[in-house]
Amino acid sequence: MNFKKLVTFISMLVFSLVMLYPFYFMIETSFKSKEQFLGAPGHSLASWRKLTSAMPIWTQLSNSIIVCSGAIIIILLLSTLAGFSLAKTRFRGTPYFFLGIIGAMLIPLHSVIIPAYVNISRLNLLGGYWGAILMYAALGVPFATFLMTSYFRGLPDELIEASIVDGLSFARVFLRIALPLSIPAIATVVVLQFIQIWCDLLVGLLFLQNPANRTLTVGLGALSAGRTTDIPVLMAGSLISALPAIIVYLIFQRQLAAGLTAGIGK
Amino acid sequence: MSKSALQKEKSRTALLFGIPALLFVFLLLGIPILQSIYYSMTKWNGLSTYWIGPSTYIKEFSNPIFWRVMQNNALLLFSVPVAIVVPMGIAFLLNEHVYGWRFFRSVYFLPTAISWVVIGMVSLRFFAQEGLLNDLLKGIGLGFIRTDLLSSERGALAAVAITFIWSMVGTNIMIFLTGMSNLEISLNEAGRLDGANNYQIFRHITLPQLKRFIQFSFVITVISAFTALFSLIFVMTGGGPGFGTTTLEFFVYQSAFAKGDFGTGAMLGLILFVIMAGLGVAQLALTKSKD
Repeated sequence: MNFKKLVTFISMLVFSLVMLYPFYFMIETSFKSKEQFLGAPGHSLASWRKLTSAMPIWTQLSNSIIVCSGAIIIILLLSTLAGFSLAKTRFRGTPYFFLGIIGAMLIPLHSVIIPAYVNISRLNLLGGYWGAILMYAALGVPFATFLMTSYFRGLPDELIEASIVDGLSFARVFLRIALPLSIPAIATVVVLQFIQIWCDLLVGLLFLQNPANRTLTVGLGALSAGRTTDIPVLMAGSLISALPAIIVYLIFQRQLAAGLTAGIGK
Repeated sequence: MSKSALQKEKSRTALLFGIPALLFVFLLLGIPILQSIYYSMTKWNGLSTYWIGPSTYIKEFSNPIFWRVMQNNALLLFSVPVAIVVPMGIAFLLNEHVYGWRFFRSVYFLPTAISWVVIGMVSLRFFAQEGLLNDLLKGIGLGFIRTDLLSSERGALAAVAITFIWSMVGTNIMIFLTGMSNLEISLNEAGRLDGANNYQIFRHITLPQLKRFIQFSFVITVISAFTALFSLIFVMTGGGPGFGTTTLEFFVYQSAFAKGDFGTGAMLGLILFVIMAGLGVAQLALTKSKD
């Protein structure tokens, strides 16, 4: 290892400490009691024991899973269908449709959130999971459709035409040929949306009015903004909430990278 | 089936395939953005809305708090170059492929998977008076500086900005690594043969090839700075002290859901939309004109 490489290695090592510090802080702090955090020596499991009484962590965990899966199912259903239609047909309306999808990607959540909130409350959907599921799905569909469209465009037209000539209907071609071939793109959509929805605060805060329906991230956000802040307990909760996303990230790193850089084009 | 019948069946199905997504997005995002325009011209008293025309706009444009909020957004822009240059440098280091680079890459990307609620909570302790920042300063003999960023308006904004930069690092490294994997190494050799030094090669050969990626990371970073910091601000500062860390997106939330003024909230949301749409159009125009 020559000198230049050594310097590079050391700078990367130092920088990874900067990136890992929050995780160290969370783990270390969660193994302290409130008194130990404030200066008393030693470590203990006290905060982990208090966690379940401080916040309904298992309910919130399952809420997160329900909201995430609900929204992702809707996103997948709509975006694969629309993406295939956009990529493989040439209507007069197709370019406008595509433009509409791109345009929707530019709408910030905050610009629609007030009317959306009023509409959804008028439909009486703020009490259960549906309000949040619908909002997350609506925010996810445009980008997912964009991603699916670019992926389906990469499938050769001849493949589709040949299958139609062989007697398969357009719908069958979609189900039997295009969909199985698009698994990598679907995985990208799922991973990206999962992390986004899992980590979100604002939509959950507003569209899950019943505290019993709160997701883990919303529960943590509400707790940290509250008056009684037991930091070690918050850190234990944070770890639980971060863990699923970290596992998904470690397994699907490549899909996540592909999704985040998909907007650049080739 | 004849060819035209096939074509017909295909178009009918395609239409059927596209409509659900179009309708869904139109109902949940399209109509609300139009409603926002109407709401911004009304007064909302909790029970009914009544038309007041553009007076909310006039009122807000002469409201010093509104301009303070816009100023906060503008100040946040100063963090954007840092959030681009630092990851670019790190991506160059990673691209050297020294021992352990795959591990380091995974570590650097990790924040992309962590909620800003969690990041904000940790960051809050980092910047606190008895937090790590002050311990570090003491450790290197600068104990007399003893910071308390979160208690001053500008300091709190700086703390939010630093946390924001930290959380953008992963995403931007990812973008630049993608860019660097597409670099034409042969061009460097050609440049070297022509007698270019390292700086000239970087400036005239590498940088132009990365331009698209720099542009993309700029857009992503600005979009995040203006529309994704809600959780961070909510957890770290609640918009304060004063209005020190209230950005436009947070102001929308505060006006509408903390103060119950839906009209003003809708108007602020529209301003945010106009800024973001302007950025999007500028980005499109820029890429189109250069191609």
